[in-house]
Amino acid sequence: MFNCKKCDNPGNIILRKKDLYCTECFKTNINHKFRACIGKNKILAKNENVLICLSGGQCSTVLLDLIKNGISLDNHKKLWITPVFFHLMGMRKESDDELIANALIKQCNHYDFNLYIGHISEYLLKNNNVQEINTLPQENNTLINKFNDLLSSMSVSSRNDFLSKVHRDMYVHFAKLLQCKYIFSGETLGTLASNLLTNLTIGRGSQVQYDVGFCDNRNEVRILRPMKDISQEEIDQYIQINQLSPASCISNNQENCLQTIIKNFVTDLQENYQATISTVCKTADKIGVGMKQCKKCKVCESDIGENSNKLSALEATNYSSSVSVGQQQLTSDSENFAHAMFPYINQSLCYTCSKMFSEMDDSNDVNLKQILLNK
Amino acid sequence: MPISCRTGCGRNAVLKRPKTGDALCKECFYWAFEAEIHYTITKGELFNRGDSVAIAASGGKDSTVLAHVLKTLNQRHDYGLNLMLLSIDEGITGYRDDSLETVKQNRDDYEMPLKILSYKDLYGWTMDEIVAQIGRKNNCTFCGVFRRQALDRGAALLNVKCIATGHNADDIAETVLMNVLRGDIARLKRCTAISTGSEGTIPRVKPLKYTYEKEIVMYAHYKKLVYFSTECVFAPNAYRGHARALLKDMEKIRPSCIMDIIYSGETMAVKEEVTLPTQGICVRCKFVSSQEVCKACVLLEGLNKGLPRLGVGKSSKAKKMLAEYNAKQEQEKGSLEQAIIDLDDSSNLIDDINQSNKVTKAKSCRSGSCKSNNKVSNGSTVNNDKCSSKECCTGKCKSNQGNDIDQGNSKINSLLEEYGINDAQKDIPNGNGHGSNVSKSNGEIVENSDEDGEVLFNDQDEENSCAGACGKMGSLQIGF
Repeated sequence: MFNCKKCDNPGNIILRKKDLYCTECFKTNINHKFRACIGKNKILAKNENVLICLSGGQCSTVLLDLIKNGISLDNHKKLWITPVFFHLMGMRKESDDELIANALIKQCNHYDFNLYIGHISEYLLKNNNVQEINTLPQENNTLINKFNDLLSSMSVSSRNDFLSKVHRDMYVHFAKLLQCKYIFSGETLGTLASNLLTNLTIGRGSQVQYDVGFCDNRNEVRILRPMKDISQEEIDQYIQINQLSPASCISNNQENCLQTIIKNFVTDLQENYQATISTVCKTADKIGVGMKQCKKCKVCESDIGENSNKLSALEATNYSSSVSVGQQQLTSDSENFAHAMFPYINQSLCYTCSKMFSEMDDSNDVNLKQILLNK
Repeated sequence: MPISCRTGCGRNAVLKRPKTGDALCKECFYWAFEAEIHYTITKGELFNRGDSVAIAASGGKDSTVLAHVLKTLNQRHDYGLNLMLLSIDEGITGYRDDSLETVKQNRDDYEMPLKILSYKDLYGWTMDEIVAQIGRKNNCTFCGVFRRQALDRGAALLNVKCIATGHNADDIAETVLMNVLRGDIARLKRCTAISTGSEGTIPRVKPLKYTYEKEIVMYAHYKKLVYFSTECVFAPNAYRGHARALLKDMEKIRPSCIMDIIYSGETMAVKEEVTLPTQGICVRCKFVSSQEVCKACVLLEGLNKGLPRLGVGKSSKAKKMLAEYNAKQEQEKGSLEQAIIDLDDSSNLIDDINQSNKVTKAKSCRSGSCKSNNKVSNGSTVNNDKCSSKECCTGKCKSNQGNDIDQGNSKINSLLEEYGINDAQKDIPNGNGHGSNVSKSNGEIVENSDEDGEVLFNDQDEENSCAGACGKMGSLQIGF
């Protein structure tokens, strides 16, 4: 059996270690997965402005190509969106950062697209200026330093988590500035499986639907993940077949943090159990929002629970920390103590963001946390 | 330079709490450890005054510590509970036989009555015999499914209000991860509940739900509690091992992740449109099940028919297997019929089946009134396997499973009587020197306890590995 599963022509692409496809069927299939994901969710109206988030990595390269193919069609299958391309800088070393941004501009221009670029440090001081297209933003060094100080006071795991929330927030911010009601982001199957486990591990279990599902509707600007059914394996093949060149090579981030451990774990398990990633993602599809809608977390915009008297891991953690310092009973003292562990919990912050806050050190600039809370 | 206890009691700290990182002296650690469990019990409203409570005792560290702490707290805070121990003997040579000795020691130490039920009596099979059939993989499925039901049976016999199990925080976090990896949404939903049980069933509670495994090990160690700490001889192949390895790695980076995972599990919800299995009662054994016939009955039937894989894996495969089995039966029956036209053949048939399947274990109806319950398997689905044999059975045998189990229950009355044992001192980690090590370096004890945690891989863990590794059906709501 050396023939394509679909059309019986000679196949040359093996997926999942056993399924053979020919190039044509493979391409059709990837395109179909992408379009079906958008189509069946029936969220987009015709000719919506959609902010397309590009990181420069493999997935974003494929996303760009798929969109180009979609909107350049001239039949009933045409993708009816008006894409606005956007890239967020400030995630890497300064020199790399510029290289990637420039490469991305080139990549977009190659497709006859324009690229808007923002800088992540603007999170602290949102202004309403949009950079000119295809140019790097002017760097505000004080702001960048402030932001980096804030980051470096956190543990690596918390920092990564915080950065993902900042990303989300900045995408929404720029989408609003650029009159987009929708955002496409390029997470693929494997990424989402890791994200689900990460979410669970850091206490964001009730937010899985937003962070891993197709549509994140915490804000009026909705974040969609049209690549969610495409696997890393397929991305690799697609790039090879179409001879695409990603703007940045995969940053092989091997920091010692929860996210890395989980990612490696999922990849390893997938090697032996080919169904791992898709099972995890199927599970994610069934998890809904656990909290009643009342207040929203100021950092991640998720619903936050009410202060209840019921026993949960939160109460148990608080109790642990107070008996560990010799408090006999839960008194007002220990409540203060708990407050130090979980600042603003269930008031303005969710469990995980609150924990993150307790790690942040803003002693250099007392206002930083306040800025975040007042957003 | 000795570090003083964080509580300000004036003593020197001997350990750093794995859970909070605070350095505590022995006495303050005991106090905090017990206070937390007391808090969990009272805040979670686990028990009512006057209740009889069965502690599911394996002889491992969790159940030993649970028994010890419950006894202590019951006296200290006057819960007014009537505590007893309940053990299940799976029949695993080199593992359970030894650990049961430890349980007997506990019984004497804590002055609690002890009841032991064995798989052999309940189901007619020991785990050793089951493993001989199914092999080294998937055997945890049998063990877990059977134990869940066995505990229920034991609790019913003891007439208790609830069963307290030794599941600790690590176990629960692990189960959350595993249920995600396995895509088991129904278990994911309920595995973090502190008390499980629906109407008509005996609830199970987990007083150690928020207690870290490492702290349990340390508590047992400093208190010099006697416990059994060998890993189940059959456990290493369990899928749960993956989830455990992940959790251990993550705990090294962020110890609080165990509590965070539990918090995640507690706060997440299943989408409304997702259909979850509904809980009912097994038509055969009348114990809780989400299917018409519970997993225990399916597994047992598989064993008795020489199709040990019947209850493992997809139900479609099970149907196929049964169909093939029945076809074969028909064939054999056909040839027999040709050979013996005058058929008073039930016993012949059994012999024939036993030979053809090479199953020495295939049981005949224990009541003796129905010698040919193996013939029964003509039904085309699992559910159908009631003793359809009007020809052979006068109705005394409703179904072979049910009968076996009823028989089992009566057999339990012939409980093994056990008395004093001396040998249970094994595997207690050598305590001398720990204290001094620790006061020198705070990190050290964590290392030590970590090792302990791995060496003392105990039965409770194994219990979980089973609970998770088993298939979808089973007595869902009881276990994880």
